[in-house]
Amino acid sequence: MVAGDATGSGGAAVVSRWPNGARCAVLISVDFDAELPILAADPANAAREKTLSVGRYGARRGTDRLLAALADAGVRATWFVPGRTVELHPGAVGEVHGAGHELANHGHRHEDFDVLTVSEQVDAVRRGSAALAELAGQRPRGFRTPLGSWKPGLAGRLAELGVTWSSSGFGDDLPYLHPDADLVEIPLHHELHDHPYFFFNLQPPFPAGQSRIAPYRQVLGNWTQEFTAYHRFGLCYVLRLQPEVIGTPARIGLLRELFEHIRGHDDVWFGTGGEIADWWRARRVPNDPGHPADLFATLTATPGTALTATPTAALTAAPTEAS
Amino acid sequence: MSAPIRWPGGARCAVALAFDLDGPTGSAMLDGSIWRNPELFGLGGYGPFRALPRLLDLLDEHRLPATFFTPAWVLEHWPDRGREIVARGHEVAHHGYRHECYFDLTVAEQVEVLSRSQQVFHDVLGETAVGFRTPSGDWHAETTRLLVEHGFSYSSSMRGDDRPYRHVVGGRVTDLVEIPGRWDFDDYAYLAYQQRPAYPSGQDRIAGYDTTLANWQAEFDGFRAEGLCLTTLLHPKVSGKPGRVLLLDKLLSYMRAPGDVWFATCREVAEWWRATQPVPAALPS
Repeated sequence: MVAGDATGSGGAAVVSRWPNGARCAVLISVDFDAELPILAADPANAAREKTLSVGRYGARRGTDRLLAALADAGVRATWFVPGRTVELHPGAVGEVHGAGHELANHGHRHEDFDVLTVSEQVDAVRRGSAALAELAGQRPRGFRTPLGSWKPGLAGRLAELGVTWSSSGFGDDLPYLHPDADLVEIPLHHELHDHPYFFFNLQPPFPAGQSRIAPYRQVLGNWTQEFTAYHRFGLCYVLRLQPEVIGTPARIGLLRELFEHIRGHDDVWFGTGGEIADWWRARRVPNDPGHPADLFATLTATPGTALTATPTAALTAAPTEAS
Repeated sequence: MSAPIRWPGGARCAVALAFDLDGPTGSAMLDGSIWRNPELFGLGGYGPFRALPRLLDLLDEHRLPATFFTPAWVLEHWPDRGREIVARGHEVAHHGYRHECYFDLTVAEQVEVLSRSQQVFHDVLGETAVGFRTPSGDWHAETTRLLVEHGFSYSSSMRGDDRPYRHVVGGRVTDLVEIPGRWDFDDYAYLAYQQRPAYPSGQDRIAGYDTTLANWQAEFDGFRAEGLCLTTLLHPKVSGKPGRVLLLDKLLSYMRAPGDVWFATCREVAEWWRATQPVPAALPS
């Protein structure tokens, strides 16, 4: 019933936004976090061997399965690898690099950016890039925030560090241009991330409410239905995987089924993050009017307008901010 | 059971499709924390920016009307989107200025939210809202009276019935019609997810789309079997994601299939209810 439409705004003919007339773009992205988020959450977790092993499973077992599934599907993925993952798991990261996948920055210790200053954020990016450059011989051009938000000013500093694109934001299902710097953003969607559906740990607990692990078939159903819609509307489908989550003997089968389904379409472009960002930049198409990223930049550019702190202040603020 | 409700045209039941177009408003905007959280702003802004046009297309294709409860801040910042809703034949109604929780406001603050928002509706859409859905949690003990005094036609805020009814203020039955909703038909209860601040608070899993659709189809079957009035609490930023538009597509097809459902805006339901239903003599509290 939903009209096939690449614009998502009416029953117009399909106009491709992607190379060679492809109908939609697909980015398979991997966060090679291993045990780093567990360590970053609390230094005391360094003594929790069992919990750390939940994350290390990704390096020890999951990566090989994931690499095999990607190879069998003929997919070149983008792997966001923290600097410490390179140091702790050089063999596994070397395999990823050797298989020809794109390596991108994911901080150094999977830092929580919410508790860092902008210079500390820059330092995390710099160290992460140095570790990847030592392995691969070149600095990564892509970046994904490990956790938390960018401090004002980070976008410009990323560009200085050789970063040309990011896959950290939300608010769109197409790439967009950062208002503050020469960066292409390839936005994310929680429903296309394996971690919220499947990750589990008893103590410290994840999820916080210790909900049940999601039924595998339902998650594959969600991912498949989202792909169907991204394909229909001509969008950029960004799957976000973690080796310790998707790389189990059973879950890797979900991914293989999904790849088989997507490969059943002959008008899908599998791009790496770098390829998609380069393509989008070369199109030279500005963000659509009213883009949340542009609106956010406008509203935060002038302190004291949007930044009303309390409900009372919100009520009494002069309506000048709303133009 | 009470006597069956007679719906217009002999329809078996009423469906008032409704969306809460919250955008990035809500508690994080009220306390200012959203201005340090571009991820949260993006998740919210996606609703009016990307999801709404797709949902309007979907409603066009099914030729169905809907009501969009919209905080006035969203109208101010995406005014063209608001006018597009009206131009496509739908209703825009009150949902706070920045999605305030009326329970937490003084009477004076509630009046200010109502007045300021109605001014925005007038400026952007050329007419004020006649409908009200209380944002966030509860409303205030005085909110009902304020809605009557401000001339609102209806509210769609409560959860305690599956049929419209008239609100009672100070022991008097008023013309303010309530079109109650149900959490069962709130997409937040199934599909919404964000990390900081965490939603759900325990970071429960995103539900399966197929099982969510099955629940909603079952609810519709029940409402239709008993001849009731179903309204929805769908959020474009949640249900307007690409794959979930396909979910809603299946749901709307399912609801249309029997051919005996009265689809109307909440405003039309309230007008019809006032015009046709006897005013109860007894006063339920």
